Amino acid sequence: MMSKYEEVKNIFIDAVDKSSYVELETAAYNYSILETSLLKPLKMVLLYGKPGTGKSMLLNKLYHNLKENREIHYFNAPILSEKEFLRSIYEALSSREIPNNMRVNFDGLLKYCQKLKDKREAVFLLDECQLYSEALMEKIRLLSDTRVIKFVITLHKTEDEDIIAKEHFKTRIWEVIEMQNADEYDLEIYIQKKMIQQGFVEISNTIKKKDIKYIHAHTKGNFRETNKYLYTIFDIYEYYEKNEPKRISERKFSKKILEMAAIRLGYINA
Amino acid sequence: MLDVHKLEKRWFNYRLKRIFSPILGFSALTFVIGSSYYYTTINGGEFSLFSKAPTLTRVLGVTKEANLSDGTQPTMDVSSVQAIKKEEKKKPNLEVEELSLEPIIPIIDMEKEEKIKAVHKTVKSTKRDTSLVRAKANNYLTAKELAVITKVERVQKVQPHVTKKMKFQSTTVNYIETIKQKFSKSNKPREALLLAKAYYKDGKYKASEKWALTANKLDNSLAESWFIFAKSKVKLGKKREALKILVSYYKKNHSSKAKELIGQIKIGKI
Repeated sequence: MMSKYEEVKNIFIDAVDKSSYVELETAAYNYSILETSLLKPLKMVLLYGKPGTGKSMLLNKLYHNLKENREIHYFNAPILSEKEFLRSIYEALSSREIPNNMRVNFDGLLKYCQKLKDKREAVFLLDECQLYSEALMEKIRLLSDTRVIKFVITLHKTEDEDIIAKEHFKTRIWEVIEMQNADEYDLEIYIQKKMIQQGFVEISNTIKKKDIKYIHAHTKGNFRETNKYLYTIFDIYEYYEKNEPKRISERKFSKKILEMAAIRLGYINA
Repeated sequence: MLDVHKLEKRWFNYRLKRIFSPILGFSALTFVIGSSYYYTTINGGEFSLFSKAPTLTRVLGVTKEANLSDGTQPTMDVSSVQAIKKEEKKKPNLEVEELSLEPIIPIIDMEKEEKIKAVHKTVKSTKRDTSLVRAKANNYLTAKELAVITKVERVQKVQPHVTKKMKFQSTTVNYIETIKQKFSKSNKPREALLLAKAYYKDGKYKASEKWALTANKLDNSLAESWFIFAKSKVKLGKKREALKILVSYYKKNHSSKAKELIGQIKIGKI
């Protein structure tokens, strides 16, 4: 039997799954742009932003919402080997498994796609594209030119990746969605919704605006950092709950524990 | 494992610093203000009085004495006397102004400024120390880190992993041998799992990986086999692979343990 704070702590484990998705105004706006862009005759859609801004989460949500209605494939982890990548694309398109001793020829795959033109349109969601090699990116670009495959790709926002975006896709990407860290208001909604979704209304109510402000000051509104921070906070709570329950109050969110977690994560020099 | 008591000590030191640094800053400021007040009013006043008296007698007293002793001004004509009188009328005012302003403005103010600057600096630096929000190196895998991991994996493929030689107690070896014998007779997945656990405990991650796989092949519903397998992968430096395995397991079974383990791997606890 898990303790109360252990359960709350586990809410903030950073995992990309449908149940972890929290609907925020900005995320909903970005999602609507993303969904609409799939209806347009675009070859590629670029989703970019700093790590922890919710790109993978948005991609995951898109996949789960659309998988019943259209042909959509989600590569949540980057397939770095070109051989494996082409195999995965072909297997997804043809619904056939290729024997291990065989490989997919890129020209053949292009021809295969060209034959499907105007008959089918598949969407491939590729996460962490900054890890793909330039050669593979070029192949992705060429595959998108067939207009049979539409790619939605995510990139971490750094100088290098901006170059990738500029050089490879400037003529092809018609929709660019930039993901940003949350402001204080969004962060408050995010934390509250995440806890309320799992039934921890009372604990959620103890977190006041000043606490959110403090959390935001340290995490800069980055969702991954926020998850990490809250995980550590409730980890400390869990310790007290199990060992020294008199030292924590259920009515008030402890500033001391907030600061202790900040020290633990190195946000504060102590 | 979270050491809350150690963390509490660090927090206590942090609070002490927070409380005392403004007090120290305030006392330093008070000292500086006090000393500058001393220089501007008390010390400055003495200096101006000392310099005022002799200069005034020197400038004005001589002409008066000359007028009193002779009653006439033998060496000067009227126009020159008038000119001197005019000068005399102007001079004392200028001198008084100079005398009262000269020592105060350029000397004291500069010192004051420097001291105030110094106080500002100390206040700023203490402020920086106490409320510093330091950007913490992300525990999660960034693009670069993932790239490094993949590089490491590539290197590992070329060079076989060298396990550290460790001394084992005879009981552990006996235990492993006993279970091995048992397994060879019964071929039960549970025993393969026990072996995997024993090897993992002893730091033989290659062997624990192998036995976890054996257990999993015999019974893939054995959750522990997945976890030991993934943990061994992490220990062998294949963090990304481990995460992939756990994510796929979590997607199928929605196991909270798997979710927790994913979180722990991501934050580097394993």
